[in-house]
Amino acid sequence: MENILETHRVSKFFGGLTAVDTVDLQVPEKNITSIIGPNGAGKTTFFNCVSGFYSPEEGDIIFMGKPIQGLPTNEIARRHISRTYQNIRLFGNMTALENILVGEHPRMQSNWLEAIVGTPRFRNDEKNGLAEAMRLLKFVGLEGLGDSLARNLPYGAQRRLEIARALGNGPKLLLLDEPTAGMNPQETEEMTLFIRSLRDQLGITIILIEHDMQVVMGISDQIAVLDYGKKIAEGTPAEIQSNERVIEAYLGPGADKLSEKFRRKKKSHEPQNA
Amino acid sequence: MKSTPVRNGINAGIVFGILVIFSSLTGFTLTATKMIGNAVNTMKLMKTTGAMAWVNLVIFVILLGFFAGWMAAKRRDPDKISDALISGLVAGVIAGIIAAAYAFLIGSLDAAKVNLRNYLPYMSKDAIKQFLFLKKNDLITPALMHFGYTIGGSLLGAMFARWIVRGKWRLNINQKFVEGSTSLASLPWVVNLRNSAYFRYIALGLVFLALFFIPRSLSSYWNYIIGLVGIYVLMGLGLNIIVGYSGQLVLGYVAFFAMGAYSFALLTAPEPHHIMLTFWQALPLSVLLAALTGVLLGLPLLNLRGDYLAIVTLGFGEIIRILLKSDILAFFTGGPKGLRQLAQPKLFGKPFHGDVEYVYLITLAVILVIFVTQRLKNSHSGRGWESIREDQTVSQAMGVNTYSSKLLALAIGAGFAGLAGALFASRNLFTGPEDHVLMVSINVLCLVIVGGMGSIPGVILGAFVLKGLPELLRDLELYRMLAFGALLVVMMIIRPEGLWPSSRPKLENQFLEINNSPQPTGESGEKAG
Repeated sequence: MENILETHRVSKFFGGLTAVDTVDLQVPEKNITSIIGPNGAGKTTFFNCVSGFYSPEEGDIIFMGKPIQGLPTNEIARRHISRTYQNIRLFGNMTALENILVGEHPRMQSNWLEAIVGTPRFRNDEKNGLAEAMRLLKFVGLEGLGDSLARNLPYGAQRRLEIARALGNGPKLLLLDEPTAGMNPQETEEMTLFIRSLRDQLGITIILIEHDMQVVMGISDQIAVLDYGKKIAEGTPAEIQSNERVIEAYLGPGADKLSEKFRRKKKSHEPQNA
Repeated sequence: MKSTPVRNGINAGIVFGILVIFSSLTGFTLTATKMIGNAVNTMKLMKTTGAMAWVNLVIFVILLGFFAGWMAAKRRDPDKISDALISGLVAGVIAGIIAAAYAFLIGSLDAAKVNLRNYLPYMSKDAIKQFLFLKKNDLITPALMHFGYTIGGSLLGAMFARWIVRGKWRLNINQKFVEGSTSLASLPWVVNLRNSAYFRYIALGLVFLALFFIPRSLSSYWNYIIGLVGIYVLMGLGLNIIVGYSGQLVLGYVAFFAMGAYSFALLTAPEPHHIMLTFWQALPLSVLLAALTGVLLGLPLLNLRGDYLAIVTLGFGEIIRILLKSDILAFFTGGPKGLRQLAQPKLFGKPFHGDVEYVYLITLAVILVIFVTQRLKNSHSGRGWESIREDQTVSQAMGVNTYSSKLLALAIGAGFAGLAGALFASRNLFTGPEDHVLMVSINVLCLVIVGGMGSIPGVILGAFVLKGLPELLRDLELYRMLAFGALLVVMMIIRPEGLWPSSRPKLENQFLEINNSPQPTGESGEKAG
């Protein structure tokens, strides 16, 4: 299988801090890749590098055979990479459908002069754009809510709408930043199924950042683990679960001995309490 | 604190008592009584000039009392008439005592030959005499009159408040209006009518006829005012694109207005360049030049966001005005004395010069600008602008080229201002640096905010309120701006989103209507069945 995205030794510095440190990642097409790691490990910074929010100081990001590092975000959107955000960032005062229509921006071919004159090409753009937006609205299960303001939608619907907006440009690669954050178990379950359907029905390659291990282990084809900006492990869910470095990164050095230590401490306290 | 009828009455009474003293001290009483006198005399019910002028004050006092009673009673249980009457009475007594005491005080001071004007600039002999109901050498009668009329007014006001609340008029009017309009809109013949093309053409025709005939029936003064309002509508629609849609706070908007006016003036005036283009040649050129200024200003500045952009553009507006005023550039721009003898339009050989003709011209320009705005708003350019306003970073990540998009907004907004400037200069046959002061930018920004950001009807309404209302309030003389400011404050508290807030397009409805409408072939209908 061909790799749709490859990063080679990507690094990003903030002053003296190395947020992303020589990360190599290969993402095969139609794959679901999860990036996990403790807080501050550089997961979102890595996302920002891929989606053009940051330009990495070192390394290459190759998408469909072409380097994309350092391109502005609108150019990256045109190349069919989309993303969602950790804290939902919808256009709150626009309706749900308008949000999706903004997401379809790269598809529009007519310019503003054509819009004033009302040329056939402009009308086609609008007609097809609206039909596509309706289709996406239905796909994420928000039909009937298209005319309500994005900020008035319930939380789960906002997450879905953000994904629908990201689907607007017909992405080949979708970056999801904590799609199940703040959801209850049932919503999380639905979201997991939904993410899988994106891949299965639309053939989109997905990279997601996620903290919920049940979700990660359930849907990922491969998992990459970051810690202090470095990639410390990569592999299938089963491989990651048994990887010592990963356990160490999450729970600290000597985590396996920790429980024993705790037991001893408790014992030493008991006589005093008694 | 429990709210009782007496407490309500005391509160309202004190407030209105102080209001009586305050309006007398600021001279407002005199102005208000004059206005009442004018109103009464135009109604020709009676003559309240000369010796009868004290009647005007009676009306004023009763009115104040009326409001005191209203305020006091409006929160009381409407079913208890005693509550309303008690609070009204208490309010009247308190306000009346304060007013009477004040009248007694200034009366006795005046009788003691103290010249109050030394301390209080508005307490002229006339004002005092007026406040004492023109009674001479009598202190008790005016005080009693103040007391009595205030109580009377207050009781009336309390009854009025009770009547209004009891009729649930205040609560229901809005709801009834909405219900009525929606039920009316869903009647089959109304729907048919609305969807019929003929009806639209007829309605449009009627609007055009009204636009044609109304200016003819108005005086030249009113046409002048309407023209001014129209020019502000043009500028408001332009700034609405920059601030309302794309969310870029540009405070030096007057610079583009000046560019339009000066381009037009320099291209048509005999001095200092003698280019002498006609109106119709110079108008598009000045619009283009203003738009170009927008682009040139935007190129370096649009990477700034929010406050920084506001400050820099504020400076830009001032720089343009000072340059126009400076003697160094006088050979090119005419300097402080401005430019005269500008071109006026000719149509089919017939020259335009009256205010009525300019109202037509400006109306046409407004219609054109509304058309362009409407088209852009409902295109992806417009949605791009609005997404920039909402969240610029995300907007760019969605594929919107935010830089060129903002540049476009600035160019179009500047072009509209240029159009307004050219029309303004041509109408006045003159333009000078003092036409292009900072106040213009502020006024335009205000009318956009007051009307409702991003809303075309809102901007038009805002222009009428901000530029038209001060003219209607001219009777208030020096209190005009005070009253106007108070109105603005009240309005922003009651309707912070503007007089006519923007509404979002109902695209889903529209889509479903188009695709589910019963078709003669019946294919989609069969599927649904």
